[in-house]
Amino acid sequence: MHTGLKRLAPVLLSLGLLVAACAESAGGPETSAEDGAPEKVQITMWQDTSITADCIIEVAVNSFNEQSDTIEVIAEKKPNMMDAVRPALAAGAGPDVVPTHGPSFVAQFALAGQLMPLDDFVDVYGWDELFVPWALNLGRVGGTLYSLPQELETMVLFYNKTVFEEHGWEPPTTMDELEALAAEIQEAGIIPFAGGAADAIDNNEFYFTEFANKVAGPEKVYQALKGEIPWTDPDFVTSIETLNRMFQAGYWMGSPENFLVTDFSTARAAFASGEAAMTMEGTWIYDSLVGEMFTEDSEHGNDWGWAPMPSLTGEAIYNIGIGSTQSINQASERPEAAAEFLTHYNSPEIQARLLTECQSATAPIRLDPSQLEGVEPRMANLLAEFAKASDEDRYGYTTWTFFPPKTDQVIYEEIEKVWVGDMTPEEYLVAVDAAFQEELQAGETLVVPDR
Amino acid sequence: MPWLFIAPITLLHLVVVVAPSIGGMYYALTDWSGIGKADFIGLENFRTLFFDDGNFRLAIRHNVLWLAFFLTVPFIMALAVATLLAQTRRGSMAIRTAFFVPYVLPSVVVASIWRMLLDPRLGFGTLLENWGIEGFAHPYLGDKNTALGAIAFADNWHWWGFLMILFLTAMQNIPADLYDAAKIDGANRWQEFLNVTLPGIRSTVFFMLMMTAIWSFLVFDYVWILTHGGPAGSSEMLATYLYKQAFQRFEAGYGAAIGITMSAIAGIMATIFVLLRRRGWDV
Amino acid sequence: MFRRRGRTNLIPNYIILLLLVCFALGPILVPLFNSLKTPQELGTNPIGLPRAVHMENYVNAWVQGEFATTLTNSLIYVVFTVAGVLLLGGMAAYSLARLDPPGGNLYLVYMLTLSTLPFWLYVIPLFIMWRNLGLLNTRAGLIIMYVAFNSPFAIFLLRSFFMSLSRDFEDAARVDGANEWQVMTRVVIPIMWPAFLTVGLVVALGVWSEFQAALIFLQKDELLPVTTSYYNFTQRFGRDWSLTSAGAVMMTVPVLALFLLLQRRFVTGLTQGGLKM
Repeated sequence: MHTGLKRLAPVLLSLGLLVAACAESAGGPETSAEDGAPEKVQITMWQDTSITADCIIEVAVNSFNEQSDTIEVIAEKKPNMMDAVRPALAAGAGPDVVPTHGPSFVAQFALAGQLMPLDDFVDVYGWDELFVPWALNLGRVGGTLYSLPQELETMVLFYNKTVFEEHGWEPPTTMDELEALAAEIQEAGIIPFAGGAADAIDNNEFYFTEFANKVAGPEKVYQALKGEIPWTDPDFVTSIETLNRMFQAGYWMGSPENFLVTDFSTARAAFASGEAAMTMEGTWIYDSLVGEMFTEDSEHGNDWGWAPMPSLTGEAIYNIGIGSTQSINQASERPEAAAEFLTHYNSPEIQARLLTECQSATAPIRLDPSQLEGVEPRMANLLAEFAKASDEDRYGYTTWTFFPPKTDQVIYEEIEKVWVGDMTPEEYLVAVDAAFQEELQAGETLVVPDR
Repeated sequence: MPWLFIAPITLLHLVVVVAPSIGGMYYALTDWSGIGKADFIGLENFRTLFFDDGNFRLAIRHNVLWLAFFLTVPFIMALAVATLLAQTRRGSMAIRTAFFVPYVLPSVVVASIWRMLLDPRLGFGTLLENWGIEGFAHPYLGDKNTALGAIAFADNWHWWGFLMILFLTAMQNIPADLYDAAKIDGANRWQEFLNVTLPGIRSTVFFMLMMTAIWSFLVFDYVWILTHGGPAGSSEMLATYLYKQAFQRFEAGYGAAIGITMSAIAGIMATIFVLLRRRGWDV
Repeated sequence: MFRRRGRTNLIPNYIILLLLVCFALGPILVPLFNSLKTPQELGTNPIGLPRAVHMENYVNAWVQGEFATTLTNSLIYVVFTVAGVLLLGGMAAYSLARLDPPGGNLYLVYMLTLSTLPFWLYVIPLFIMWRNLGLLNTRAGLIIMYVAFNSPFAIFLLRSFFMSLSRDFEDAARVDGANEWQVMTRVVIPIMWPAFLTVGLVVALGVWSEFQAALIFLQKDELLPVTTSYYNFTQRFGRDWSLTSAGAVMMTVPVLALFLLLQRRFVTGLTQGGLKM
């Protein structure tokens, strides 16, 4: 049996360990770049325009430029970055370092011939030592490496602890309990789940991911991803039926229609204020959770807690996701310079600083566990539990990490037709299966490590 | 000499629009993904589009509904208000300005205003409820039956004032003696509108009808910012569908086929108007 | 000019008009109010008056949206595009309306056909061409595109303005021995300037709110126009509506000011300047 995902454990544990370790590397500049190396090779990378962008550029890019005598990385902040990436790549332009939202996106670009194979760089820069092997392998499309994982994540059930305590509710562990609790919460005049798809339709895939893995179970999802069973399997039908039954009951924001117009800031505000009691969200909301939703001086005075997303059997299952990736543009004239920068970016020192200084999630790299202090205790606990679960094979598959691109698109676009009543769960799964079988035939499915 | 005046802008168009479009048109006959080699597949894209693609038919339907809305609602509003305004003097300048202000706002601003106002829990419906008027809080952009209408409403909010100003300006160019003559003939206001005002601004109305007909098949901005064509494809337009195929699914050849179809439909619209004009309507 | 008729009761007119004024201006208060709230307050009170005034949103939005840069860029794009459209489009419109070029009607159909081509159909070939011509990431490259996009409408509009203009002045100038260029620059344009103002304003507004082409053809921060500032308030999974609202106000104020400054000319202009018949 392959060690596979068990390697996740040290990675995750070390996430929490890093905080203090970085104080030293955050300290002084190592070298000065003043010595006049006149002809620096220039490469470009794109960064989105969130507030953390400046921090990431400061930590990851400026530090690189200071220490390199031969390469200068130009970080361009790009509003609407992902919308701009596609046409640029399609026309053979764009940045040298190409960002994406996950392996499923990478596959789109790679299959269209827009990314450079990275296999030659693996040995040169020791990427197989740097990254956890299973995570590095997720960057493979048809056996060729096209991307490096940039952000490791999972989803759990966050709940408003204050609201739960007021009503004497306990976090559920089984799907039946979850559904019963949702009904009870609604009865009490509170929205059971905050959530919404108004900002980005692809957020719909969160729900397919959660319900397929938690109702049908990860084993079934694995078999389907391997092409051994179809997506029309009765267990998946039950998954989508459960999801849809709960949607139709108005557990998300009051009605499916309300869910569809709710944007993230509204959903988060509803959850924080106690207007909604729970939310199925990912580890990526960490900075927002502690930084804006539940701060010391929040007017609502509420507190939060988390529990594993309930499953049919009650077993705590954590879905694994790679949130964003980096690749090298096929049109890049300086791929080796880009590779050198990526090595720097993903080095333990820089990743540690990104976590502590920028509150940005880290790549699944091998880190040296040293101390466990500094990370918010609940989040540290979450990461530890995630690691333990993967160690015990209690992990599932997020769509944006393990599903081929066209299937993924059908999953998050067509699910709305189920929610608004234009499609039955069976018809929906027929459409998902059709897209998947097509990609399976064409050899365009993604890497799924052995269980 | 006449063509010397026309040549510069024509040349610019040839470079910016015509030449790349011809390139785009060729790709409609291929399975091009957006980069790399494109295999010639003849009319296969069009066959799929016309016979196998339910989403495409849905998009056309939505564009036709959009056309019907924009050929009527803003025109009726603009004509009615221009007529009312033409009769007033006091404060008329300020009122005109007020009607025109929404047109000045950038589309991203208009869209975000209406996204806030149309919100089911926090939008204008809730505001009305606070004032005791029930029944208007509804997820307009999330309900498949109202999404398209809500987008059209927001777009029209920003558009009709501009149309009104165009009509008003045209009305002011109608010679006053025509009205005097109508009055002598004993015409009431409605007859005056039909027999003097409308014929007097006919060419402006006609021109804007034509542009509306063409633009209705190209609409993208508001739909994209407000719903991305959702929910469940209920506000999908040809242009948003083209964008998704070409840039999200990497089916650039198929996207080009959609683009050509859009142009063809808009071209047919334009031709109808040109033919009408030949038959004695002036533009 | 529309003749006044004092006898008519105008009160119903005013009631309808005032209701419509509320409809036109009311929604604009929303971003104005929201720009003064914290995101937390916005989540629970998105339309009403702010409970406390948070002017710092404007400061934050100015910095985060890089408005200093984007406003300047947009100004440059607007000025040059309007100049280009009015010059090149005006020449073409004048020729079509006055000089009766052979095949003029056919040319109009050609222009109409052009305006039916969707941007997304030709954007990739155009992008490739722009890259080969070195026009990618340049202001000139974007301005050339904007001139091309905006001129069909401008040509049509200007042409119909030219057509509605009496030929007497021009003929008089021609009798005096002026050539066609002199007729256009010395007689027609002075009379036509309100029409140019109208078209110029429409084009300016279009360029000011354009973002699709800019986002694709410009990949340097220092060249981006003001509408892209709007996107600076989006993060991967959400949007800061307080900053968005403050940004919305800031990207609206310049065009609104320009319009209010010119509106007297714009709205009444056409009845002055010799266009009375």
